[in-house]
Amino acid sequence: MLKKIIPALCALALTLLLSACGPSQKVLNVYTWSDYINPEVVAAFEKQYNCKVNFDYFDSNELMLAKLKSGSTGYDVIVPSSYIAQVMFEDKMIIPLDHAKLPNLSHIDKDYLSRLAIDKGTQYSVPYMLGIACLAYNKEQVPTIENSWAVFANPAYKGRITMLNDKREALGAALKFLGYSLNSANPAEIEKAKQQVQQWKQNIAKFDSEVYKNGINSGEFLVVHGYSGDLLQVMEENPKLAYLMPKEGMTVCCDDMVITSTSKNQDLAYAFINYMCDPENAAANMEITMYTAPVTGARELLPKELQNHPAMYPDPEAMKKSEMIKNLGDSDALYNKAWEEVLFSK
Amino acid sequence: MVLAFMYLPMLSLIVQSFNESKYGGKWMGFSLKWYQALFHDKAVIDATLNTLWVAFMATIVSVILGTGAAWALNRFQSRMQQINYTLFSAPLMVPDLLMGISLLLLFVNLGVSLGLTTVILAHITFCVSFVTFTVLARLQDFDFTLIQAARDLGAGNWKIFRKIVLPLIAPGIVAGALMAFTLSMDDFVVTFFVGGPGSTTLPVKVYSMIKHGAPAIINALSVVFMAMTLTIALAGQFLMRKKY
Repeated sequence: MLKKIIPALCALALTLLLSACGPSQKVLNVYTWSDYINPEVVAAFEKQYNCKVNFDYFDSNELMLAKLKSGSTGYDVIVPSSYIAQVMFEDKMIIPLDHAKLPNLSHIDKDYLSRLAIDKGTQYSVPYMLGIACLAYNKEQVPTIENSWAVFANPAYKGRITMLNDKREALGAALKFLGYSLNSANPAEIEKAKQQVQQWKQNIAKFDSEVYKNGINSGEFLVVHGYSGDLLQVMEENPKLAYLMPKEGMTVCCDDMVITSTSKNQDLAYAFINYMCDPENAAANMEITMYTAPVTGARELLPKELQNHPAMYPDPEAMKKSEMIKNLGDSDALYNKAWEEVLFSK
Repeated sequence: MVLAFMYLPMLSLIVQSFNESKYGGKWMGFSLKWYQALFHDKAVIDATLNTLWVAFMATIVSVILGTGAAWALNRFQSRMQQINYTLFSAPLMVPDLLMGISLLLLFVNLGVSLGLTTVILAHITFCVSFVTFTVLARLQDFDFTLIQAARDLGAGNWKIFRKIVLPLIAPGIVAGALMAFTLSMDDFVVTFFVGGPGSTTLPVKVYSMIKHGAPAIINALSVVFMAMTLTIALAGQFLMRKKY
């Protein structure tokens, strides 16, 4: 029995090994989040540039950064969140961009760049997808709701409202509610925000960043704090849900495309980034991710129901008060400490 | 009671994977659409092939090395053996994270380009120990007078190994191989760190899918994965029963 199996297995191994190396073609290695790009756009890019795009996936900015800091190489394009891109640039892990190779930069939303972006001049990064952290509620079970972060304290939702399990999101909501900047480095303001979250903690069901989607869908939770794109995906299936964009302002998070300093295929990497900034391709990607690409002209190309959707294009008034989460350097320790105290308080 | 805790989550996963709803929680009708989506997702298929390839290679190499190591640990007695024994058991106790980062640093310093090869090498390092100890357990009950008897009857070393030793320790080898295979298939932390372009395996992909992907596809994927593991385990048992 064994005698027959072993040669067969070896033959299988050999064929697999051989099939792994096909004809030589330029390969672009992209390191990104899973399900974050439209496969059709990728196929069209591969065809146009006669190349192969290889995707690898990470699930956390911090783990990805740790891996690259240890010296891992081979990736050409990476899609980290803005505040991590900033760290990567300061550490010279990514290159300053040559704008001559990115003609489609002209499509990037000027308003977004000047008001929200960290890298305002697209010096080292090009914004890919933008999301906000907001609230969603069940219209049937909650006919009227106050448009404010104060809902966390409303006894009507006691035990049936969740808050994101993320120090910057939770404390950020409190900072906005109190009228401060969510990137505040002032210990007194952070202290007040901490007390606010501790007070909210008495009323909420739990801090959660993963299963709130299932919870709001099944009716277990009445109100949830979550990311716009994720909530939009739930909403497509469940028409009873509605958005709430607190009037005090929200947190904005953006994932950016960057080119690594170890990339051996810089020209192809530039071409890839440039391709994604084309309004048509940006619109196609938005339909998959349900997040907003800050690309002018993409909105008009979206299906009607997405064009005016508050999650894709929130009310400009609410957006005016919103802010991007920034890397705070040393002040980050204040947030870590405050968050620990929130988690361990009764 | 304990069994219920072990199996109920799996049962609910299987049920949910056939749910029409993308987010579960509510039953919206029986559907195979997540399985369909799964089999059309090129990224998932690539990751599955990577996973199987890595697990397969890591199992073969670690079975050969591990059996040899177990034999050596069992047969030769010297003061060095205690040290060897400890060295072999160390990977069982080292945390994954430490192993992942240290292997990554090693590969980077050696100038090895990261990819499937480094993932396979890393998996071999932790699989070998498991194989060694399962085979060693088997060897400890091994009756070595059988070998002397065979030699008396004129059998050569190779013949003894093939006809006597191998069949007797085969259950240990198969058990070790199955363990190596499942460990390799499951591993996330080590793979994440030592992997390079084009080496995304299923666990790495699934973790990333939790962020933006549809939970229902992950459910379907897990069910397929469970079915695969079960088949391998059953196949192993079947092979072992046939011998005796």
